Amino acid sequence: MLKIDSLSFQYGRRSALKEITASCDAGKVVALVGRNGSGKSTLLRAIAGLAHPSCGSVSWRGQRLAGLAPARRALEVAYVSQRPSLSIDLTVHEMIALGRFAAKTRLDSILRIDQAIGLMGLDALKERSFHELSAGEQQRCVIARALAQHETNGLLALDEPFSNLDPGETMRVFGALQQSAKAGALVVVAMHDLSLVDRVAENVWWLEQGQMVATGAPIDVLTPTKLQEIFHCEFVRGAQGLTLSARV
Amino acid sequence: MTKRQFLGIVVIALLLVTGVVARLLIGRDPAVGGVHFNWPDENIFLLRFGAVRSAIVGGACLGLSGLLLQALLRNPLASPFILGLSAGAGLGAMIAAWSASVVGAGSVAWISFIAHGADGVIPGTVGSLSVLVLVYALGRRGGRLDPLTLVLAGTVVATICGALTLLVQSLMPPSSRGDSWMWFMGQVPELPSSGAMWTAIALLFCAFITSFQSGAALDVASTGDDEAESLGVSLRSLRIMLFICAGALASASVALCGPIAFVGFVAPHLCRLLIGSRHRALVPASVIAGAAILVWADAVRQSIDVGAGRLPIGVLTALIGGPVFLMVMRSRRMRAGEWSC
Repeated sequence: MLKIDSLSFQYGRRSALKEITASCDAGKVVALVGRNGSGKSTLLRAIAGLAHPSCGSVSWRGQRLAGLAPARRALEVAYVSQRPSLSIDLTVHEMIALGRFAAKTRLDSILRIDQAIGLMGLDALKERSFHELSAGEQQRCVIARALAQHETNGLLALDEPFSNLDPGETMRVFGALQQSAKAGALVVVAMHDLSLVDRVAENVWWLEQGQMVATGAPIDVLTPTKLQEIFHCEFVRGAQGLTLSARV
Repeated sequence: MTKRQFLGIVVIALLLVTGVVARLLIGRDPAVGGVHFNWPDENIFLLRFGAVRSAIVGGACLGLSGLLLQALLRNPLASPFILGLSAGAGLGAMIAAWSASVVGAGSVAWISFIAHGADGVIPGTVGSLSVLVLVYALGRRGGRLDPLTLVLAGTVVATICGALTLLVQSLMPPSSRGDSWMWFMGQVPELPSSGAMWTAIALLFCAFITSFQSGAALDVASTGDDEAESLGVSLRSLRIMLFICAGALASASVALCGPIAFVGFVAPHLCRLLIGSRHRALVPASVIAGAAILVWADAVRQSIDVGAGRLPIGVLTALIGGPVFLMVMRSRRMRAGEWSC
């Protein structure tokens, strides 16, 4: 279980997260939504144990993640940042293999890497240089690295992983994340496509100005009235689920 | 190790072996003038072999130091000379020597140790690491390390350190100054100080083992800070450990050969070209390449007659390394910002 308890975080004097409290069991996909600058990335970094909170705590399966050594934490949590970077020249296969750095046993690494490459549809690109890929292909590459890294019952934290993907690749990636959740992982993903959230997420955490304003099932949290109030554009809930109206 | 990595290391090793042979064969006859190729007699051989030893150890230290700085700072323009580590090491050693000459190092054991510790390597390491901390702080813009700002900060700090070194030197009694003018221009001594030589070898050995074992972590560290930490690398301890290695190596090479430009910059780039980017292979390759470049530079220097004695080695390495630096600075990946972190 992931448990966030009264978590606050500050960048200098600016408060980025205020008294966040939430929890979720493993085996689910949690969508983290909110406007730009609402604190989604900071919360994800805190969940991944990368941002040290000014007060409060994040624990996963009863362990405080920020207190764990990176090598130990990497076995529990895999994190995908918003802007993947690489300063040396590696092939796609080599980049994805970095995901197995902390693995204690190397026996299953080759299998895990090949599986991740297959899941992200990168077979044809695996010998290409990472720097030669398009933004969307690079995004799939770092998601594959996280899939190769995380243990079956681990925690996956992804920061806007669909931002550069076309609709087909978005569904492929989401399918892989749902598969991981079914296998026992907890997937926390920050995203802006509320129609997609409505269709595929089991839980929504809604952040506004660093505060958690709503949590629950998409149908309860993402109501057209509330969305219009926050985003100043009209949403319609019909047979197809939640859609953005042409009227603004 | 892949086939490409193995072949690349063999090519670099061959470069070193041919360079050693060339340096041992090339000689100059001051009486007649000009360059000749011959197998020397025993006395001349000892001098040429001394220069080969200095070039191998000094070059290897520079090659590994350059690789570590480029990897840890994620900056292809980094090297001990460009970031001012060499100048900082020179200043540290000079301040220690000046302090000793003022206080009288021979009478106080601990001052003697600090001043002359391993022929200037210890105070040099303090100087190079202090410069590294300063340049690192100055090179940050908006919380991120900007490659060109870092280089600019390094160049300015190196200039200031050079000026301070001259100032400290002018404060010393003439009898304590020695032949430091030659040292300033970089040299490959035919009769290296045994203290500096053995300290450099010991440091090189320790730094090599540490860097080789950290090879996989350096690959992971080439992703962003958050990504590297989430993949299991403790960046803080990796940086502290390997920055100390890079600073100590720069200081050892300065104590042995003086500040020599661009060897620490060119060696890692040559290796990447031949064997790729994996650090497990780059660490040994950069050590051998640094040695090969300095041995060849010394051999070529021997064969160039400039009329008024030998060409200073720093001139030659700058003439070769400078254009390579400009090529990397104007490369497509630098312009695309792929190297910034």
